[in-house]
Amino acid sequence: MLITIIFCTIAVCSALSLAAELRRDLMMMQQNSYRIERYRRWLRSSADTTSWPRLAGMAVALASLAAFASDRVGMTLIGAFAIGNIWYLSTRRYKKPLVMTPRARRIYSVSAIISIAITAVAAVAADGHSWLLPAFAASVALQILYCASHIVIMAAVWLLQPLENRINRGYRDDAARILASCRGLKVVGITGSYGKTSTKHYLKRILDEHFATCMTPGSYNTTMGVVRTIREYLKPYDEVFIVEMGAKQPGDIKEICDLVHPEYGILTAVGEQHLESFGSIENVQRTKFELIDSLPAGGYAAVNNDFPYAADREVTNTHCDRYAVSNTAGAQWTATDIAYSPQGTTFTVNGPDGLSMQLQTRLVGECNISNLLAAIAMAVRLGVPQEKIRFAVADIRQVEHRLSLRRTPGGITIIDDAFNSNPTGSGMALDVLSGMTGGNRIVVTPGMIELGERQEKLNYEFGRKIAACADIAIIVGRYNREAIRSGASDGGMTDDRIIITDTFAQAQSMLPGIMKSGDTVLYENDLPDTFK
Amino acid sequence: MKTNIGVFFGGRSTEHEISVISASQAMAAIDRDVYDVTPVYITKEGRWFTGEALTEVSNYRDPKKLLQQCSEVYMRPAYGDSNLYLARRKMFGTDVAAHIDVAIPVLHGANGEDGTIQGLFDLIGLPFAGCDVLASANGMDKITMKMILQACEVPVVDYVWFTDKEWFDNRQEVVDRIESKIGYPVIVKPSNLGSSVGIGRAADRERLVQCVTDATSYSSRIIVEHMVDNLKEINCSVLGDCDEYQTSVCEEPIKSGEILSYEDKYMGGSKGSKGMQASAKRIPADLPEATSDRIRFLAGETFRVLSCHGVSRVDVIMDEDNGQIYVNEINTIPGSLSFYLWEASGIPFAELMDRLVKLALKRDRQRQRKTTTYDANIFAMGGGVKGAKGVK
Repeated sequence: MLITIIFCTIAVCSALSLAAELRRDLMMMQQNSYRIERYRRWLRSSADTTSWPRLAGMAVALASLAAFASDRVGMTLIGAFAIGNIWYLSTRRYKKPLVMTPRARRIYSVSAIISIAITAVAAVAADGHSWLLPAFAASVALQILYCASHIVIMAAVWLLQPLENRINRGYRDDAARILASCRGLKVVGITGSYGKTSTKHYLKRILDEHFATCMTPGSYNTTMGVVRTIREYLKPYDEVFIVEMGAKQPGDIKEICDLVHPEYGILTAVGEQHLESFGSIENVQRTKFELIDSLPAGGYAAVNNDFPYAADREVTNTHCDRYAVSNTAGAQWTATDIAYSPQGTTFTVNGPDGLSMQLQTRLVGECNISNLLAAIAMAVRLGVPQEKIRFAVADIRQVEHRLSLRRTPGGITIIDDAFNSNPTGSGMALDVLSGMTGGNRIVVTPGMIELGERQEKLNYEFGRKIAACADIAIIVGRYNREAIRSGASDGGMTDDRIIITDTFAQAQSMLPGIMKSGDTVLYENDLPDTFK
Repeated sequence: MKTNIGVFFGGRSTEHEISVISASQAMAAIDRDVYDVTPVYITKEGRWFTGEALTEVSNYRDPKKLLQQCSEVYMRPAYGDSNLYLARRKMFGTDVAAHIDVAIPVLHGANGEDGTIQGLFDLIGLPFAGCDVLASANGMDKITMKMILQACEVPVVDYVWFTDKEWFDNRQEVVDRIESKIGYPVIVKPSNLGSSVGIGRAADRERLVQCVTDATSYSSRIIVEHMVDNLKEINCSVLGDCDEYQTSVCEEPIKSGEILSYEDKYMGGSKGSKGMQASAKRIPADLPEATSDRIRFLAGETFRVLSCHGVSRVDVIMDEDNGQIYVNEINTIPGSLSFYLWEASGIPFAELMDRLVKLALKRDRQRQRKTTTYDANIFAMGGGVKGAKGVK
């Protein structure tokens, strides 16, 4: 009798252990945007399927099968493992935890159903004259399911795909209907390898002086994100709708344009980001220009002339202005007389028809001036009076985590550039850091990712630049450790000034020990949990 | 998808009926191609109702029957929730009667023009047209209004103010103060009611005491002003917000007695249902251009220093003997929204309503930019509750 209770308890623990493991897999699936191919790539690169918990799990499964004669040995192993796993998973903290959206819930339910079905079949098949054998069979089945939980998750996602497509289509049609009923709404699309979110915020701030404006919030730059913005945030009295358009593969931007029909577009950059999914920079260029190509004849495009792959691409379907901070030849909008100070930046904007505006802003960094220039050009085109533009630009606050400056009460300057880094952006951040000569200059970074074949080389060059601009480098994680270290070393940084840590938390905990008033620390890029 | 304007009117005030008239005029003027309109009627008991029948003034002759055709509603004072909820929940279906995008209060007098309902809209975060809590409260109270104008060097008549308790405790002292500072004739007013309610004129002490006693039944704050003997009243409306505003042409209301009475204002002309518009008036007022410019300037200044918003009407007094112009009072929600003044100034009623909506949205955008709360939870920080007392 007692044995029966113990066996059943162990079966239940095993089920809970599987449930916890499935939740973890679901979280990783969510971080990979529910794309099976992306998830599989992540599984490969992070070696998740051969991590030591999984290997231990497999060992337990094999052992319990082998010890079929003595089911008690098997059950003990399974029970111990289950409790250990539950404890282990409950103590782990994730930077980007699972968000139980309706879709996540659906996937979890289907995973549960699959698991229950398989477990039930095993239990029924092992029918005996007591509860012992079914409990044992169920536990073994659960243990095997644990080892294959990533397959279960993928199966659930795959099975649910038709339903998700139908649901999404319904939402998309609803959004299209809402947009069609907003007469006179001006739609501005913003895309680019980087700078789109900052440019979006700056444009919104300027337009807010003159129009009722709606923008896609936060990171809602996918088709479904735009659909959600339209259904939940767009107000009937809005006059301008700013749509940030992101792309993970070609066709993504065209999909958004087919929904919102933009009349205005800004292309902020064509650069080396997400090279893994795009393959080549030509593909990046083609994808970003999907926005510009979709603009009507009476529309307006502002394209960044500072990037060769944007400057060299002809635009004939709509009126196109080029804007530039460095590559000013052939640009209708330029920013000149740029002067940086601890209060921010002053600069002059020159536009077509002799337009010239003296402006000041709290923002720093050439990339921010470039983004401001794009926003100003668009605002002028939309009819915002110059005094309002001037006021708004002076008032713009820095966007958190995007090259923003902060001073702590202890006298330390923090440059926070923690969001999605890229070679050009990280270079500019280092330029800003190098100008902070009031004390030690420290960089905390894991390097840059998703650069495909060029990852090692670009991180090496990043290391070299760190040596030129900073005094101390703290390299986080193992992804680019060697590349950055050798770059910094070759660039002249001595070994005692290069610090290696495993996690971001470790790096942060050692900072108070090395920093004093007057120092500056730059946080360059921060990676999500999929890249630990 | 059309913007839904909630028009709030009625209210627990002495000007309830005037509000009904103003609102029905406003609702009829709103361009239904661009906007939807949801009427929200506040009864004299302070209960809220909505329904199509509320837009027609003639229905108010039989209020009981009218309300039977309507649904009682309420709003939650929770931030971000600008739904009108049905007071009686339906068995099936939603209990949301309407979702309001922009509110236009057309309430006159207490409990509507004084900042009360504006405060509710601020708590909810619902964009609304008209003065905010600060300007409404200051504009409603004749005493604070004059204090602010005086400090900003906008000309006002000499005045003395006191409370009913002061009058009770120190009557002689108050009377002496009035006689020495201002001198007769004077005009006695409760500080916070509009439309000439409780107002009396006194040319000697006996009458003064009578008027003050009368006024104390309406308010505990009393203002006694110097009365200009030979006066002309001129009104001017202002539209916009304190960054950008414009003034209308001036009007001269024609009065029956020595001062405009309640009867003059609202029962003037034929039937009572035409409200402020029907009272006899001269538009534009018959004035030399320099004078009218000066009045318009003073009206604009009044609007600006009181931080007003939307459409207001400033009433000034001209002393015919010496040409002095004084600002008498401001109406932050004027009768009929002064549409007749704006039509005479070249802005049709429909456009006036459209401007009010745009002004409401502009202010809402400005509001959103200002930080009013911090995410940080000081209780959760290391310092403990000690830190919560701070250094003030």
